[in-house]
Amino acid sequence: MTNSPAIEVLDLQRSFGDTKAVQGVSFEVRQGEIFSLLGPNGAGKTTTISMLSCLLRPDGGDAQVMGHSIREDPMGVKSVLGFVPQEIALYEDLTARENLTFWGKMYGLRGGALKARVEEVLDVIGLRDRAKERVGKYSGGMKRRVNIGVALLHKPQIIYMDEPTVGIDPQSRRNIVDSVVTLKDQGMTVLYTTHYMEEAQELSDQIGIMDHGKMIASGTHDQLVKLVGGQTRIDLTLNMEAGAVLEDWRAVEGVTQVSAEDGLVTVLVDDSNAVLPRLFDVTNRLAARITSVDILEPNLEAVFLHLTGRALRD
Amino acid sequence: MTRILDIAFKDLLQLTRDFKTFMFLLLMPVLFTFLFGYAFGGFSGPSDSRLPVGYLDQDDTWLSHALRDELADSDVIRLDENPNRTYPDLELLVANGDLAAVIIVPDRYGATFLKGKNARLIIIADTSTTAWTTIEAEVMATISRLDSAVRTATILEEIDAERMPFEYAFEQSLEAWEEPPIAVVETTSSAVEASDASSGALAHTSPGMMLQFAIAGLLTSAQVIVTERKSRTLQRLLTTAARRFDILLGHYLAIFTLIFSQFMVLIAFGQFILKVNYLRVPQATLLVAFCAALCISAMGLLIGVLARSEEQAITFSLIPMFLLSGLGGAWVPLEVTGETFAKIGHLSPVAWAMDGFKNISIRGLGFESVLLPAAALAGYAVVFFLLAVWRLSAAEEK
Ligand SMILES: Nc1ncnc2c1ncn2[C@@H]1O[C@H](COP(=O)(O)OP(=O)(O)OP(=O)(O)O)[C@@H](O)[C@H]1O
Ligand SMILES: [Mg+2]
Repeated sequence: MTNSPAIEVLDLQRSFGDTKAVQGVSFEVRQGEIFSLLGPNGAGKTTTISMLSCLLRPDGGDAQVMGHSIREDPMGVKSVLGFVPQEIALYEDLTARENLTFWGKMYGLRGGALKARVEEVLDVIGLRDRAKERVGKYSGGMKRRVNIGVALLHKPQIIYMDEPTVGIDPQSRRNIVDSVVTLKDQGMTVLYTTHYMEEAQELSDQIGIMDHGKMIASGTHDQLVKLVGGQTRIDLTLNMEAGAVLEDWRAVEGVTQVSAEDGLVTVLVDDSNAVLPRLFDVTNRLAARITSVDILEPNLEAVFLHLTGRALRD
Repeated sequence: MTRILDIAFKDLLQLTRDFKTFMFLLLMPVLFTFLFGYAFGGFSGPSDSRLPVGYLDQDDTWLSHALRDELADSDVIRLDENPNRTYPDLELLVANGDLAAVIIVPDRYGATFLKGKNARLIIIADTSTTAWTTIEAEVMATISRLDSAVRTATILEEIDAERMPFEYAFEQSLEAWEEPPIAVVETTSSAVEASDASSGALAHTSPGMMLQFAIAGLLTSAQVIVTERKSRTLQRLLTTAARRFDILLGHYLAIFTLIFSQFMVLIAFGQFILKVNYLRVPQATLLVAFCAALCISAMGLLIGVLARSEEQAITFSLIPMFLLSGLGGAWVPLEVTGETFAKIGHLSPVAWAMDGFKNISIRGLGFESVLLPAAALAGYAVVFFLLAVWRLSAAEEK
């Protein structure tokens, strides 16, 4: 696994009429890593990924995908790419095996190699014993698996997944998230879009946060979280007036901020493991009692809120 | 290249998967033509589907005999001769529908004809029927054959005698065509329609029906593309190594195969069951069917590319379906609608296809007669296809 970039995006731009869907997005995805584009509806994720797969022409900027320019060499880009569209794109009146065989041909596979690869992929997505059934009769989760399987047929070096987990049950989502990790383990580079913060957090080596067509921040999860100071928030309640403890809590080592509202005390700390015991000690000495504790680790939601003043999901 | 075939094969596989639709496409036209046939009086059986035409020879010269012999050999009319019938008898027979028409060769017809003057046959018929169109075409063709034979003979004789320059003889023969060599006595009775149904009429509506059904294939054709788009597989195809042009060509090939097969089924049905003589010049009828299928599938492709939804595809198909087949004479032959309408009608590819089929099956013309209709159809096909390619690129790049 080398560290030369698999995808290098430089100042991509695209408008639809007056809507500036993507306005100057740049980022880099290294080989073998999972890069997530995280952003709310309409942020420009699909537009970006469509340009990176040569479905849409950029108005400005360029990108190199495994060294192929999306402007100069779309066929080169397509040859290294597997694309899993957000919506299921399969022929429902054909069986899973027929679907895979057809798509394999479209990717340029033929004859024995195609046959062998179709069976391999059927094994990977765990549908070999149901391969003779029409896709239209499959459950949502099974369709998703075939949908992903199609993109794996030609053993692409890079796979794009546009919101592959939207609108499915938690179990299927689990399956898909696990399969993405498996792909990464096999050395594939993954570009993933989602508006689920938890998914981005769990999967990604790097995360790019998009909003209104711009990349407002990018980096590893830890780097991003540092943007909000990397602090953990602890919400507590007491068996008495909060005012009595505020001064003493502010003095505790590792506490950076304390505020109270409606009986709920909010404390910002660098490291909750170290600070919480000290808070309990101080409270004991004041003869008070902590009745509830809620630890809120810093997350991307907070980062988004910090950067845009809006919640990621509303 | 192989991708084009892969896509076409996939489309056809999908179409056959939907077995009911597939059967509907192939068998409905056949079923319909049958029902239509019964509604108009049923079949006379496979015996003789030629139109019964009375023949009264008041001239009785070698020329009128030659004319009779030529007509007796016709594939589309059957001469019914009975020298004892009078003019009123014959009129009644036409009115009752026992005869589709009557041809009367008047006294001195041969003499006038040979002098190069305007010799006219008298024909009793109901000119509002398709049967009439057929008979008229057949009689005109026969007379023109006879005429050229006579002219040639005359000219040769005259040149030999050095009595008249060639140009003069030639001009004279052209002049003779200014006025049609037949005079028609119309009957207002609907009788010929009855005779229509009892024998050849079904055969004469067959090309119109065939085109009506072929053009109904627009619906299926357009759906192939709309489904591809709706299932989002069109977008996905564009992320593979398949080119836009290949994808479109693949679909085109599938649609073409479907519509061409439909033509084959209907031509076979017309030939063997309805006794329409499509296969008199088989390569000509096949060429027309081929070009008509190219044209209709290209139109279907274009509609599919333009339509944003299944509903739109249906609307977009129905309009040209009725407009083009109505305009193109699939319902009422353009021969009876007058010259202006016939000209407008030929804006519709259906008119060209009708011409092509009828030139062979009814008018008894040769292979050359279908070249122009075939070229017109192929031209339409190219235009529709290019529009579809252009629209698809424009749509995906918006
Ligand atoms: N084909 C199009 N025509 C016009 N406007 C478009 C088109 N595609 C996208 N847009 C607009 O561009 C902006 C970005 O859309 P995009 O689909 O890239 O967002 P997204 O981040 O993928 O959102 P979602 O999470 O809803 O999929 C939106 O305002 C959208 O309305
Ligand atoms: Mg999207």
